Parts: sequence; C-alpha cells; structure tokens
Amino acid sequence: MSVLTLSIILFVLLFILLGSGLWVALSLLAVGMSAMMLFSDAPLGLVMATTIWGHGNSWALAALPLFIWMGEILFRSRLSEDMFTGLAPWMSRLPGQLLHVNIFGCGIFAAVSGSSAATAATIGKLSIPELSKRGYPEKMVIGTLAGSATLGLLIPPSIILIVYGVATEQSIARLFVAGILPGLLLVSLFVGYVIIWGVMNRDSLPVEGARYSLREKLYHSRRLLPVIGLIAGVIGSIYAGIASPTDAAAVGVVLALVMSWSSGSLTRQSFVEGLMGAMVTSCMIAFILAGASFLTVAMGFTGIPRLLAEWIGSMGLSTYTLLAALTVFFVIMGCFLDGISVVVLTTSVIMPMVLKVGIDPLWFGIFVVIVVEMSQITPPVGFNLFVLQSLTGRNILTVARAALPFFLLMLVALAIIVAVPEIVTFLPDNM
Amino acid sequence: MRLILTALYKLSGIVAALCILSITGLVFAQVCLNLVDKIAAAVTGQAIGLTIPSYSDFTGFLLAASTFLGLAYTLREGGHIRVTLVTGLLRNKTRHRIDAVVLAVALAMVAYTAVYMGLLVAESHTYGDRTSGMISLPLWAVQLPVAVGLVVLTIALLDELICNLMGLPASYEGKGENLLNE
Repeated sequence: MSVLTLSIILFVLLFILLGSGLWVALSLLAVGMSAMMLFSDAPLGLVMATTIWGHGNSWALAALPLFIWMGEILFRSRLSEDMFTGLAPWMSRLPGQLLHVNIFGCGIFAAVSGSSAATAATIGKLSIPELSKRGYPEKMVIGTLAGSATLGLLIPPSIILIVYGVATEQSIARLFVAGILPGLLLVSLFVGYVIIWGVMNRDSLPVEGARYSLREKLYHSRRLLPVIGLIAGVIGSIYAGIASPTDAAAVGVVLALVMSWSSGSLTRQSFVEGLMGAMVTSCMIAFILAGASFLTVAMGFTGIPRLLAEWIGSMGLSTYTLLAALTVFFVIMGCFLDGISVVVLTTSVIMPMVLKVGIDPLWFGIFVVIVVEMSQITPPVGFNLFVLQSLTGRNILTVARAALPFFLLMLVALAIIVAVPEIVTFLPDNM
Repeated sequence: MRLILTALYKLSGIVAALCILSITGLVFAQVCLNLVDKIAAAVTGQAIGLTIPSYSDFTGFLLAASTFLGLAYTLREGGHIRVTLVTGLLRNKTRHRIDAVVLAVALAMVAYTAVYMGLLVAESHTYGDRTSGMISLPLWAVQLPVAVGLVVLTIALLDELICNLMGLPASYEGKGENLLNE
C-alpha cells in the first residue's frame, strides 16, 4: 500500500470516527492504532502503554489542572461583577462607551481563566442584561463579546498554549510571554474598531449620562485591584524568572482561594465544586493529549509526516503560501473540531512540515492559537457561538454574523504578525 | 449494583481530585521554601538550598494518577469532548443505535489499553524497576493508578453499553457540553 493511499484511509477513518460521536481522545487513539497495525510490525500494545505512561506523568503538564482550578475558583467568586463596576466609569466617555467593557472585561478575565468559552459565559452573563437594558445595539453587544472572549486562548495563562508547549516541547514560560503583545494587539484592534463604529453610528448608541470625576473613577477601580494583583503575581513571577509556569499556577490557586475567601464567596460547597470541575476539565484535556501523543508516535512509525514534509519541501512553497494554506486548513478544521484537538492534530502531522520550511515553532504556536481563536467564532461549530446562542436565545447564524467583523480583525492581526514576527518574538527573546 | 458502580466512579473521581489538591500543596510548599531561601540568601548572603526532594517527579506521578483515575467520572459527567454535530441531526432511535456501536468500539479499545497497561505494571514489578531521582519509589506503585483508572473506565463503558442495549439513555446525555468544550 502506498503512503498516499494509507494517509487518505487514515484521514477518512478519523473523520468517520469523530463524526460518529466517538470521543476525541479515543478517535485519535484508534487512528494511531490502525496506522501502526497497517504500517509497522512494532508491538502495538506495548508501545501504546509506554507512550501513555511516558506522556501522562509530566511535570510541565501539571500546570494545566492548577490553572483550570484557579479559573474555577474565580468563576465562582464575585470577580466578574467587580470587574464590570470597576471598568464602567473609565469607558463612559469613549465613543462606543460601555461596549468597551466587554473587550476589557474579557481581556482581564482571559488572563485569569485561560478558556474562551468560560470567558464568554462569565462576562456575557453579566454584561448582556446590563448593556441591553441601557439600549446598546444587540449586534454590537454580541459581536464584541464573541470576538474578545477568544482572547482567553491567547492571553496567558492560556491552557491551549500549555497544550501546544507540552506537545511540541517548547518552553511554556516563553510561549506565555510571547502571547502578551499579540494579545494586546488584538485588544487594540477591537477597541479601535468599536471607536470607529461608535463615531460613525452615534445615533444608535445610548447617551451615557453619568460623569465621573477622577476621584470617583479611582474609587470604583479599587474593586479591580485584587484581580490585577493576582494577574501581576502570576505573570510577573514567570516573567521575572523566579517561578516556572507550574509554580506560578500553584501560587495563583492559593491567591485565588484567599481572594474568594476574603470576599466571602468561598464555601465548602463552592470549593468542592470548583475542585471537581477542575479535575473533570483537566482529565478531559490530558486524555486527549495522551491520545494525541500516541498518534504522534504511531505516525512516526508510518513515516507519513516525514514524507508529507518532504513533499511540501519539494514543492518549493514560500513560507507565506504555506501559512496561507494552513490558515484555510485550520479554519476549516476548526469548524468541526475544538481548539485543543486542532492543536494536538497539528503537532502529530503538520509540525515536521513547518520546521522544514524554517518557521520558528514558538512563533507558530502563537499563529496557531490566533487561527484557533478565529475558528471559535465560525459556524457551524464554534464554542463561543454556542455559548452566546444559549445566553441570548438568538440563532447561531445571527450570532455568527454579529461576530464577523471581529473574525476579519483577527485576520488582520494574523497578517500583522506574519509581516512583523517580532511582535511575537521580542518579549521572549528579551526574557 | 447501580449503587456500587456509582460509588466506584465517584470514589475514583474523588481520589483524582485529591491528587490535584496534593499537586497544589506540594508545589506551593516548594515555592514557599524558595521564598525562604531567597530571604535567607538576602539576609545571610548564603542560600540554604531548601528543596523538597524529587518534587517535580512526584508532581508528574500525581498528575498521571489524577488524569486516569478521573476518566470514568469525567465520562459520566459528559466532560470528554465528542463531536455531536452529525449525530445530532439523526433521529433519536438511529442515534441510540450508533451510540451502541461507538460504545462497543470504545470499550474494546480501552479494555485493550488497560490490559497492556496492566502488563507494563506487572513488568515493572517483576524487574523491580525504580523511579529515578533522589527519592526512589518502586515504578509499579506509581504506574498502578494509571492501570486502575483504565480498568474503571472499562467498567464504566461496559456499564454504558449494557444500559444502552437495555434502551436507557446515556449517563452523559445533555450534560455540561457547552462550557467545558474548548
């Protein structure tokens, strides 16, 4: 059997398994098993057991449950409410007014949660009623939320960057730091768009009557302090080089517990719920990673990624053409798969190709995450769309149309980091 | 029988959660020691070098235990991601049948994996392998939770399959698919 036939068979098999509703982790495992059975004489069960054990006990991956737990604790505290009241006074004079609360609120919450669906749900639950009560146009409320909630994937600590780092053996601390500037770039693009839109559509926006003096603004901002302190503590300790991401995650958990305890929202029940929730989410992700690590090993036995890389290499594509092709491919994949599955599949098959044309794997990680962010708001499968659909009761196409401008802004951000890769590499190189 | 099974899944889920709690405790303790060390270095000009021996190894073992012991609980909570886009379009009856096939495939694969993980543990035991690092443990002991977790998942899948064939809805049906999927 030629390699080409085999690759096609495996690809079709993967889609059949996923489509039939077999769990993602097991689908990856099944494709890996089939690849090894068809293409090598290596002892399947033994390779599988050692791979799963070898990748399951990983010090770097231990940051994952901890950051998830931190998010769960904060999710159950009064954090999001505080954020709204703290941010609102600063935004009331900017064109676009309180719509910016969605963007900055998501940006800040993204920094503590590392998950975009949780960001959309938490900020949305709070801001949608508030903003529609004040008469903001529904399209913009939904659009800003859908777009900025995806920041959860990029702004550190980001769960998807941990997954990418573990799967490609990149330093997670460097990946986190690399995500900071692109994250800010996206925030400024979103803010710029809302300002321009606000200037052009003054009539459809309500007038914010309340004016705050600087003193009042500062007074209201005190409620932002704990969360800013938490972010500064976690990111700062990584950036200063005194803590690894795993260390910083443990500090984040303890600080989050202290924060929610002092605000009175920590009860025995919320503690247990948060811990069990964190266990479930991290178990799901780590299991997918185990499946993907076995698929990577199995793919190595078949030699498909190497041949694919050579094939791409022989076509003499420019880096830009390859990136453009990959963007289209990822967005299509992202229509059917969730972000983490897209990332782990990438590392099994596409990474050798990318290395072959000389793309920096650190930069590529950020690139992939932005593309995955885009795929979160493309129908038919986009988790942010689902969340907003359930929050607003509008159908998925309405939500997707509202999110479209933000999809295009992310495309602009991609073009910028391709043209100026230093936006990604500057901070990690100067760590 | 139902009670025993539910208790089994829950117990192994709780142990998994306790592993995460221990990771937090262990890592945080080390961070505190680092801090004490830094302060001591600043005051006396000499670092004491406080470290919990092999703490990063232990963290890895606890993570593996947590992941695999949590599998069955996560399955029943609807935590594992699956694509429901296609099957969601089908009639309930057809979907139920496809689910039976999916469960059978999953059961066969997980059982196979569990057997080989068990063999790996047995092998580590026979050869008396030990973990590397300052504190060395028998390898089979830290590998065992992974094998146990897979066995519990096998039982859970068998349980689901039998329930499915009896015409009952799946335990994970309609649970937490929105917020956790990423």
